[in-house]
Amino acid sequence: MFGKIQATALALILALPMAAQAAKVKIGFVNSITGPEAPIGENLTNGVTLALEDLKKKGIDVELVKEDDTGKPEKSMAAFEKMATRDRVAGIVGPYSSKCANAIAKLAEKYKTPLLIPVASKEEITRQNLKWTFRLSATTYDYATILLDMATSLGKPRTIAIINENTDFGTSGAKSAKDYAGKKGIRVVAEEAYAPGSPDYRSTLTKIKSKKPDLVFMVSYVADAILLMRQSREIGITPQAFLGAGAGFATVSFAKEKAISSNVFSSTQWTGDVNWPGAKEFNRRYIAKFGKEPTYHAATAYESMMIMAETAAKAGGNQEKIRSALKSGKWNGIMGEVKFADYEGYTNQNKHQMLVEQIQNGVHQTVYPPKYVSKKPVYPFPGWR
Amino acid sequence: MTIFLQSLISGILIGGVYALIGIGLTIIFGVMRVINFAHGDLLMVGMYGTFYLFTLFNIDPFISIVITMPLMFLYGGFLQKVFINRILGALPQNQILLTIGMGLIMSNGIMLAFTSDYKILSTDYSSSSFDILGISISTPLLISFAITAGITVVLYWFLLKTDTGQAIRATAQDREAAQLMGINVKRMSIIAFGLGASLAGTAGALISPTYYIFPQVGSTFTLKAFVITVLGGMGSIVGATLGGILIGVAESIGGVYFGSGWKEVVVFVLFLLVLLFKPSGLMGKSNT
Repeated sequence: MFGKIQATALALILALPMAAQAAKVKIGFVNSITGPEAPIGENLTNGVTLALEDLKKKGIDVELVKEDDTGKPEKSMAAFEKMATRDRVAGIVGPYSSKCANAIAKLAEKYKTPLLIPVASKEEITRQNLKWTFRLSATTYDYATILLDMATSLGKPRTIAIINENTDFGTSGAKSAKDYAGKKGIRVVAEEAYAPGSPDYRSTLTKIKSKKPDLVFMVSYVADAILLMRQSREIGITPQAFLGAGAGFATVSFAKEKAISSNVFSSTQWTGDVNWPGAKEFNRRYIAKFGKEPTYHAATAYESMMIMAETAAKAGGNQEKIRSALKSGKWNGIMGEVKFADYEGYTNQNKHQMLVEQIQNGVHQTVYPPKYVSKKPVYPFPGWR
Repeated sequence: MTIFLQSLISGILIGGVYALIGIGLTIIFGVMRVINFAHGDLLMVGMYGTFYLFTLFNIDPFISIVITMPLMFLYGGFLQKVFINRILGALPQNQILLTIGMGLIMSNGIMLAFTSDYKILSTDYSSSSFDILGISISTPLLISFAITAGITVVLYWFLLKTDTGQAIRATAQDREAAQLMGINVKRMSIIAFGLGASLAGTAGALISPTYYIFPQVGSTFTLKAFVITVLGGMGSIVGATLGGILIGVAESIGGVYFGSGWKEVVVFVLFLLVLLFKPSGLMGKSNT
């Protein structure tokens, strides 16, 4: 009994100064730290690291609970449950990939813990009428539409071949491309879903070459993006344009492979030279700290952590209050304007403006929409060197 | 027709490398009856070796094999002597745990040292190819196939004609009898694991100009190596060679005619069929 009183007193003493500051928050962060998606996961981790620095400057002390999902949905779910029940975090940011995000979106509902998904873009995630799940990034539908909008504004493509990884992100991206191509009057001549990690796509690509598509649209993560382009060059596929739906095509390691990456278009959520408040500054700081350029993943993770931690701090960690504050709030940061709205069957979905970049001379340049252009696009594809 | 030939040839070329991975695993299994779950990770170590020999010393990946092979042999021999020899008499599940553990240590150690970034080894011929009757043949794959074929021939000769080779085969056939005949089976085990490791490392070196390199790359190949080995018959080198090429071709043709997402299904259906009609594998002898 005495021990209990002592403990309560101790807890009170410890709790009091915190309550006075009202700025210490516990936030969970699920990410693919190891596993095949780790190279992209690293960008998210770095983005969050910068966010924590900035939050500290604003007087918000974040206690970060980090969990690794190794790219597997079941691990993501276990991590979410642990953070929601044992760590009792105020809110959770993450995870990276669509398959993981889709798996835990429903858990947010069950545990009434706000979840802010930075970049996983499978459409269905925010289409299940979930009240506790928010998404900052645009969806796969936008990955496809912005690219096709650009292609039709620059040329007159009539046919398209779609190659995608058979994961949630890949399938969802391919489906959107197919839908939107139909609306634009572009005929789909080939659809190939592949299992990632195979060393040989030549036979698939040969089949695609025989269909002579005007556009080749690919949805792939890092390494397969390089492999597909390398083997496309080998086989000699020359469409009007190669379109990559973000992910692997937006990475620096892809851009560095100049022989195969030149003139490839990629849709992206963010670029380092876009004129959203603080974007250029973020780009500069990131390079200074981590020695490489940030991808859009880093920017979305940064902004998500900023939004979640600030909201949670203001709400004093009360989850119901955080949820309504996220719902009603408005932000304008490195990802441009952010507002979680309900529209076209989506709930808590930020209507984010996608960009298109093109790799020119090993560097990503923003080429579309015209409002954000940093370099003129090269179209059609000038052929292999 | 062009598409069929194209996929057949791509399949055979990539199958050659698969065969090399399978042969390594099958030798290890044959001699020690230990299933090496770290096989893919040995391949990954070979890839990293090749990558750094290329980027730091500018040694062509195909030439660097002469360095990678003996190094991987020593590494494999070391692993055998220090770790695996201790558990040869242990329960199979304990052996599996040990090899899985070794694999994890390798992949995570590499990740710690070189980060999880994808590494791409780009030579000026990495995506070069030439045309024969409208079929494009990848130059690096063709070279690696030729090297694989050469290595396999030398390996056959070694196992069939040399004393050491015969001793290895004897150990594989009956470990106790071999020991009674005065064969140093512990040493044979070290040589066998060394051979297996160096073949895996060589396979890694051969595909690194056309593939990508990251610490977890091994798991894909471990699975493939198992399928190849079991398909060909556990312990049979001819079987592993056949199995490798068969899997390569099945993947490639399956990818074209059933869609890329289905090629694994094609491979595994084929695998099941073989096991159904010939449970010991293509070249396998009955269970021992």
